[in-house]
Amino acid sequence: MVALKVLAVLSTGFFFGLTLEGIGRKVTARVQRRYGPPWYQNFIDLFKTLTKHPITHGWIFDFGVLMALGGVMATLTFVPLGNLVAFPNLDNIFVILYLFAVGALGMAMGMVGSGNPNASVGVARALTQMLGYELPYLVVLSGVMFHYKTSSVSAIMNAQGDGWNLFKMPVGAIVAFISLLGMLGKKPFDTPIAPAEIASGPMVELSGKYMGLLMLMHTFSIFVEISLFVDIFLGGGNYLVFLLKFTIVWIMAVLISAILPRFRIEQVVKFYWKVPLSLAFLQVFFVLMGWVF
Amino acid sequence: MNDLILVLMFGSLASYALSKIKKNIGSWFNFFVLLYVSYMIYKTGVGTEEKFFSFIPGFESVLSLTHLGKFFALVSFLIITTVSLFIPVWIEKKIKMAASFNLLYLLMSAGILGALASGDMLTFYVFWEIMVLASLLIVPMGKEESRKAAVIYVVLSSIGSYMYLYATFLTWERYHTLKFSEIAQGLLSEPSNGFKWLVVFLVAAAGIAKSGLFPLHTWLRITHGNAPDTFSAVLSGQLIKMGAYILAVSLGVFPSLKMFPPLYGGVPAVNYVLIAFGAVSIVLGTFMAIRQNDMKMLIAYSSVANSGYIIIGLATLDSVGFAGGLFHVFNHAVAAAMIFLSFAAVVYRTGTTKIDEMGGLIHRMPWTFITYLVGIISLAGIPPTSGFISKWMIFQALVRKGMFLTAAITFVGSVGSFLYVFRPLAGVFLGQLRSKYKDVKEAPTFMLISMIFLVLLTLYFGVFPGGLLGGIVKVQKELGIPPIQFEGTVIKTPLGQWDTFTVFTMFAVGFIIALILYFLFPKPRKVDLTDQYTAGEYLYTPDLYHYATGFYRFIERLYDRHPSFEKLYEMFSRFFKDIGEGVDTWFYRASSSAYMFWITFVMLIIFWVRW
Amino acid sequence: MKQRSVWEWIADQLRSRSMWMLHYCTGCGAIELPPSMTARFDMERFGINPMATPRQADIFLITGYLSTKTLRRVIYTYEQMPDPKYVIGFGSCTINGGIYYDSYATINRLDLYIPVDLYIAGCMPRPEAIFEAFTTLMEMIRKGEANGWKRYKENYEWYKKNQLRSLGEVYVHDEFHE
Repeated sequence: MVALKVLAVLSTGFFFGLTLEGIGRKVTARVQRRYGPPWYQNFIDLFKTLTKHPITHGWIFDFGVLMALGGVMATLTFVPLGNLVAFPNLDNIFVILYLFAVGALGMAMGMVGSGNPNASVGVARALTQMLGYELPYLVVLSGVMFHYKTSSVSAIMNAQGDGWNLFKMPVGAIVAFISLLGMLGKKPFDTPIAPAEIASGPMVELSGKYMGLLMLMHTFSIFVEISLFVDIFLGGGNYLVFLLKFTIVWIMAVLISAILPRFRIEQVVKFYWKVPLSLAFLQVFFVLMGWVF
Repeated sequence: MNDLILVLMFGSLASYALSKIKKNIGSWFNFFVLLYVSYMIYKTGVGTEEKFFSFIPGFESVLSLTHLGKFFALVSFLIITTVSLFIPVWIEKKIKMAASFNLLYLLMSAGILGALASGDMLTFYVFWEIMVLASLLIVPMGKEESRKAAVIYVVLSSIGSYMYLYATFLTWERYHTLKFSEIAQGLLSEPSNGFKWLVVFLVAAAGIAKSGLFPLHTWLRITHGNAPDTFSAVLSGQLIKMGAYILAVSLGVFPSLKMFPPLYGGVPAVNYVLIAFGAVSIVLGTFMAIRQNDMKMLIAYSSVANSGYIIIGLATLDSVGFAGGLFHVFNHAVAAAMIFLSFAAVVYRTGTTKIDEMGGLIHRMPWTFITYLVGIISLAGIPPTSGFISKWMIFQALVRKGMFLTAAITFVGSVGSFLYVFRPLAGVFLGQLRSKYKDVKEAPTFMLISMIFLVLLTLYFGVFPGGLLGGIVKVQKELGIPPIQFEGTVIKTPLGQWDTFTVFTMFAVGFIIALILYFLFPKPRKVDLTDQYTAGEYLYTPDLYHYATGFYRFIERLYDRHPSFEKLYEMFSRFFKDIGEGVDTWFYRASSSAYMFWITFVMLIIFWVRW
Repeated sequence: MKQRSVWEWIADQLRSRSMWMLHYCTGCGAIELPPSMTARFDMERFGINPMATPRQADIFLITGYLSTKTLRRVIYTYEQMPDPKYVIGFGSCTINGGIYYDSYATINRLDLYIPVDLYIAGCMPRPEAIFEAFTTLMEMIRKGEANGWKRYKENYEWYKKNQLRSLGEVYVHDEFHE
């Protein structure tokens, strides 16, 4: 029974995530007044990369990619997708956020193990950006957890029956959305990838199936991140309503990223530690005072 | 207890004699003695009181093992024994005065055991000073700067020790007893608030000095950085935990929850000041560690940050937070020992500790790399190692109590730790193999055995924390704190719960799925490490491909001009030195008649004051 | 032509619908690429994206004339790309030298040095011609005819002989550190 649910969660992540990425490319293309690729383009890209003949730089390169994909898939199984929860009562927010770090660490380790300085620069930037966006996000989440006196995602989701957290804690929801843009790695926060500056950053030496597995990991990670936002601030709901809300949040993120240019890395950190952090503390102050709508 | 301390003390003399014959034999003797002592501590029951010997007539010192003491003793001796397995191979090449090293190692263990088993304040002080003296004399056996490091270490440590001694005298005068339990009784019914604050603070000051918390943190960098490498593992992994023990005593055994009214979130003001010190230590340790280029000094600063975590956990004194603090004691001990031992292996083979001089060592020393990797995963608090469990418990406690600023700072510490532990990983182990280290070999077998043992231990307790949590529950019941709830591998708190075994299984399942996908598709072709994408150009020296200098330069620029406590202390020391030199030039003449003059002068003054 | 297995046939269908181009603009023909990528003649609808590194690219466009100095780096980059890979010679300079046919510093026929699957004539070819070439390449891949990479592996010595004869050495010197 649990195995079936886990399989359902993973397949949703796979099919829905790749489809939405393709739809995202189409939306970006329409914003730029052109036609875009068909919506199934990302599936073709993924399978094409899996058929090429790759090169490798050593065992740590392989192991890093495997650890990244394994870690992110493990994280995905714990996230509740609306009312499809594979492990009820065990979906603690901190566990999900830190299990996510296994994937990031595995990827960072494998990429630096390729020996290319571009990869090391990209990874250093990615870690610094993590320092930027995690702090306001976690402060807002601690406010939410303190208000509902629980740290389980499905409990917070079910407690929003009388109104979404988007309306109860609007300042916090905005801060979480800005942090979400940083987590997704979309413009204006795609400094770690930066194709023109550092030659794709960490992914510079990836070819063939390594690239495919890493693209899969990227799809799963954005699925986890947006699902957390939808569950905690937009009230989850049943499975289909959840997917609808997911699509809306994703299209908003794509629209923002289609028009903005890229920040420099110290601008990212300075930005996150000025405006969103103060707004996050303001939200926490409201929660302490009980001024929740 | 008595006989174990005597075994250690006489064992140290025997080890000195044995080391004079051959360096190795003394170290192996150390290992077996320590193994025996650890086993006996595990077997000793709690609450047995034995008389040691008396210093003052009419007062006898008592050795009694509490649950708190036994927990700390087991953790400490685990680290000391494992490091002593590492030492015999290492000491051949690295230490000249091996005999005194072995003697002082066992003497230090005797001091630790006595301090943890003492039931009254004066015995504790005596054993504490034995431990400080022994560790002080080992530190200068490292690099050249370690002599200055030893002086800084002893000065800052004695600030704490003398404040503790003053507290001993105060309580003797007020209550006429030195036993911890009786002083606690007296403090409970003490009317004067100021006296209570003074005693708790003076006792905690010894802990602050020893564990490297905020005002007295400057000795960690220079001492851990320059001490002999395996001794850095013991310093960081274990001696800092002695500071944690005295802090737990000052907050738990002297029950601050009952002595003072709560200030915010059910925590009294005294604890809150200590939590503030811990929070500043976390910020300071994390951001200073990001800048370091020397790998041992980097982890020394991370020890400052982790001591901050421990005090924040201990000072909350509730079921989840206190358990988190004690668990973090175990985690940081094991993780810091692992990391310093892997550094010792690297220095044994390459001879340098600067990160940007090394690179690509994973291709030559893979097992050392694995030790370092699991150590940093545990230090950064990532599941499924045990490091995550303690951090999770501390986060839950802080969020439940509504201490948001402290929670924000602990999050900064946790995310910042990814940054600084990644720096030696990328600079030393990954990246390009430098041309001058092409022939470096893997570390010798016994070193590997001790390192891999710690790896297995941290992974085991990450999946099955039941054994440790059982010990922590006993400590909490003894101190009167409601114990933490857990059944099997599920840890429950009022705020939420999680299951360590499920997390580990899902991680394994995910890894297996990724492995299946990996093997389904075409096999890769291995290329040389210097075959990189460089826009068509080609560099022939691998050293130029390695990115390690100024790894985080872009973020370091944000806080380059920061206030520095090291400069403040140096200013104080120069002030006292100038006064001394002033006295020197005015009053000191190197002739016997001057000596006679000054001796008679001082004796006359003493006689005048006496009558 | 050897018969393809089912997996190869499926793989070729996939490869033809998602080709990634290496953004390596060698000569003056590269000026026609930005118009092809942007809104007026949209290249992404065919699944073709520019990629920053050769490790992930399928198509290598040699746009325009090739001096001998660039040819060394082109050969080095071509060998860094993973199989299967396709080369398109862009512009008349790759076919017979174009307007630089009598220069001492450029090469006249690209096919002698690296295997070329398709040539586009013109000086410069307009974006419409570029799209015709891409659709022809997609047809060739689907039929299994674009086998430049196999030819390179089978006739490696012949290609190397040509390269050494024209260039002297294929070794790229590290001028900054020697």
